[in-house]
Amino acid sequence: MTEQINLENNETLPIHETPRGNVLVIAEHIMGELQPVTLELLGAGRLLTDKLGTKLTCAIVGYKLGDMPEKLIQYGADLVYVADHPELEVYRTLPYRRVVCDLLESLPEQPHVCLLGSTTTGRDLAPRIAAHFETGLTADCTELDIGPYEHKAKMDPSKIGLYPDCLYAIRPSFGESLKARILGPWKNPQMATTRPGVMIPLKMDMSRTGEIKEIAVNLKPEDFRLQVAQVVREIASALKLTDADVIISGGYGLGTADGFKLLKELADCFDNAAVGASRKVVDLGWIPYDNQVGQTGKTVRPKLYIACGISGAIQHRVGMSKSGTIIAINKDPDAPIFKFAHFGIVGDVQQVVPEMIRQLKKEKLGSKPGVEAVVHSH
Amino acid sequence: MPGPYDIFVLVKQVPDQGSKAGLNPDGTIDRARAKRMLNPFDRYALQAALHTKRTYGGRVTCISMGPPPAVEVLLEALEHGVDRGVLLSDRRLAASDTLATAYALHKTILWCGHYDLIFCGLQTTDGDTAQVGPQIAERLNLPQVTYCEDFSLDVENDRLKARRIIEGGCQHVISQLPALITVANSYHPLEYKSFRGAWKVAYLQRHADELSKVITTVDLDIIGAESDRCGLKGSPTIVAHTDKVGELGGSCKVSEGQAPEIMVSDVLKASNVKEFLAVS
Repeated sequence: MTEQINLENNETLPIHETPRGNVLVIAEHIMGELQPVTLELLGAGRLLTDKLGTKLTCAIVGYKLGDMPEKLIQYGADLVYVADHPELEVYRTLPYRRVVCDLLESLPEQPHVCLLGSTTTGRDLAPRIAAHFETGLTADCTELDIGPYEHKAKMDPSKIGLYPDCLYAIRPSFGESLKARILGPWKNPQMATTRPGVMIPLKMDMSRTGEIKEIAVNLKPEDFRLQVAQVVREIASALKLTDADVIISGGYGLGTADGFKLLKELADCFDNAAVGASRKVVDLGWIPYDNQVGQTGKTVRPKLYIACGISGAIQHRVGMSKSGTIIAINKDPDAPIFKFAHFGIVGDVQQVVPEMIRQLKKEKLGSKPGVEAVVHSH
Repeated sequence: MPGPYDIFVLVKQVPDQGSKAGLNPDGTIDRARAKRMLNPFDRYALQAALHTKRTYGGRVTCISMGPPPAVEVLLEALEHGVDRGVLLSDRRLAASDTLATAYALHKTILWCGHYDLIFCGLQTTDGDTAQVGPQIAERLNLPQVTYCEDFSLDVENDRLKARRIIEGGCQHVISQLPALITVANSYHPLEYKSFRGAWKVAYLQRHADELSKVITTVDLDIIGAESDRCGLKGSPTIVAHTDKVGELGGSCKVSEGQAPEIMVSDVLKASNVKEFLAVS
C-alpha cells in the first residue's frame, strides 16, 4: 500500500500535446432552411474554436443548397465544405455517411472536435461516423467546453497522461441526478451531439467572411440499398413548443385527459403560449407526443413555465430547467419540482388552475377597462 | 422466394427508475440493490420482431449483453414468444461505452449466424444515447432505419418498407435486406405474454438441461472478440467527472395551506406572470 502511494507521488504524467485541429460542425437543413440546432452548434463551436485557437469549419451536404453556405459563415463558420449533388437531395444515412467519411479521410489532419445536432438526423448519422473512425461520441450534450485532463487509471497504461485540450462533453446522467463530463482525448475527432434549443447561436453578421470549398461526392452502389420513397411534412397548426414564450405543462396530477382543456384555457390567457406535458401522460395517450417536454421529448426554455401536477423527476427537469420563471402547482408538498421551481403552490390543480384563470382574466379586464364585451365574445 | 426470416432482436436489462428500491436518498441509483427490468424501449423492438415472425414466418433470436442476471430479460422475451436467447456475459466487458458495446454485440450477431432483420430499441433508459443500434449497423455494413414507426415486408422482392420519424414529419423508405431497424415508441406496444410462453418458461426453469438448449451464454472467447476492443480498454470515452445537478432557480417560494384564491394571488403578485398576458 505504501509503495503504491509513493508511486503516485513521484509520478510525473507524460504530456500528450495532441495537435490542435479544427472544429467541424455537420450542418442540417430542411427544405432550404438551416435548422436552428446548426446555428446553435456554430455558436458553441465558435467558443471551442476560440479556446483552441483553430478554425471553425462546417460541412453541408445536400442538393441546390443556394445561399446556405454563406449563411453558415455569417453565423460563425470560417470554412464551409459543400457537397452539392442530386443524389443528396433528401437525407439518407448511407450516402450522407459516405460523403462525411470521405471528407474526414481527405483532410490532412482530423478535426479536433466534430459536432452534430441531437435530432433524428444527427442521431442517425453521428454513430455511423464514430463507429467508422472508432472514435468516441457523446450523445445529447447540454454543455461543451475545452479543458485539460489527467488520466491516471492503471488499467490501460498506454492511455495514461496529461491531455491539455480535451473536449468536455457534458450531459445529464438520467435517473441519477448527476451531470457527467465525458471525455475521449485519445482519438480525434472527439464527437458529440447536442440537444436542440440548448446552445446559444451567434447573431448573424453579414460582414463576416470565410472560405467555401466544394468537396467531391463519390457514392458507391451499396450506398443506394435504402431509398426514400416519400417525405411527409406535417404543417404544425399549433405553435411549436420550442418557440413559445409561455408553456403550461400538465402531468399525472391532472387526474384525467380532460385536465388539458383547463390548461389550454390557462394558456389562452397569455400571448405566444403552448401546452406541454410529462412523459407519463403522453404514454397514457392523454396528449400527443409532440407536446412532451423532457428527456425523451423536447428541451424548452420559455420565459414562463407553469407545471401543473408534474412531480419534477430528473427526466422532466432536464427538458425545462432553463425556463425563465418556473411556477409549480402540485398536491404533494414533497414533490421534487418544489426544489427547483421559483414559485410553488401546494394544492389540487383542479382548484388552483381555475382560480388562476379567473384572477388573470380579471387582471386583463382591470388593466383595460371597457374590453369586457370583446373578451366575452371570444 | 425468401423467408422464413432470421430475425434478431437486441435487448438490455436496465435499473428500474420508477421503483423506489435501490434509490439512494440523494436520488442516485444503487445498481446492486435496484430492481432490474427490461429496457422499456426494447419492448417495441420485441413486438416488431414477433410481429414479423407471426406475419411472414421465421425464427426470432433475442440477444443481450450484461452480467449473469440479465438472463431474466431473455426469459421474459421467451415468454413473449422468441425462439432462442443468447447472453453475452464477460467480466472484460465492464465499463464498455457505446463503441465497445457495439463491437461486442456485432461479434455476437456474427457468431449467431445468418440474419435478415435486426431490431433494436430506440435507446435505453440508463444510457439514453441511441447510438448502439447505428454503430452495430456500421460494423455489419448494413442499411438502417432509425426511429421506425411502422413497417411491412415486401416478401416477393425481399425488401422492407418502413415509415420513420423525422423532424416535423416522416419519411417512407424502402430498404434491401438485411437491414437494422431501431423501433420508435410510437410503434405498437408489446402484446401480453401468452399462456403457452409463460408455461414453457416455467417448465424450462425447472429443467436446466432443456433451458440450456434455448438460452446460450457466451463469452468473448466463444464469439471470437478481441478483449482489447471491449470494456474500459476498448472504449474511446470515459466518464471523467460527475457533478450533482445543483438546486436550480434558488429557493422556491412555496405557498401552502391557504385558500386557492390567496395562494394564487400571492404568486401572481410576487412573480412576473402578468408580463406575458395576452393583450387582446
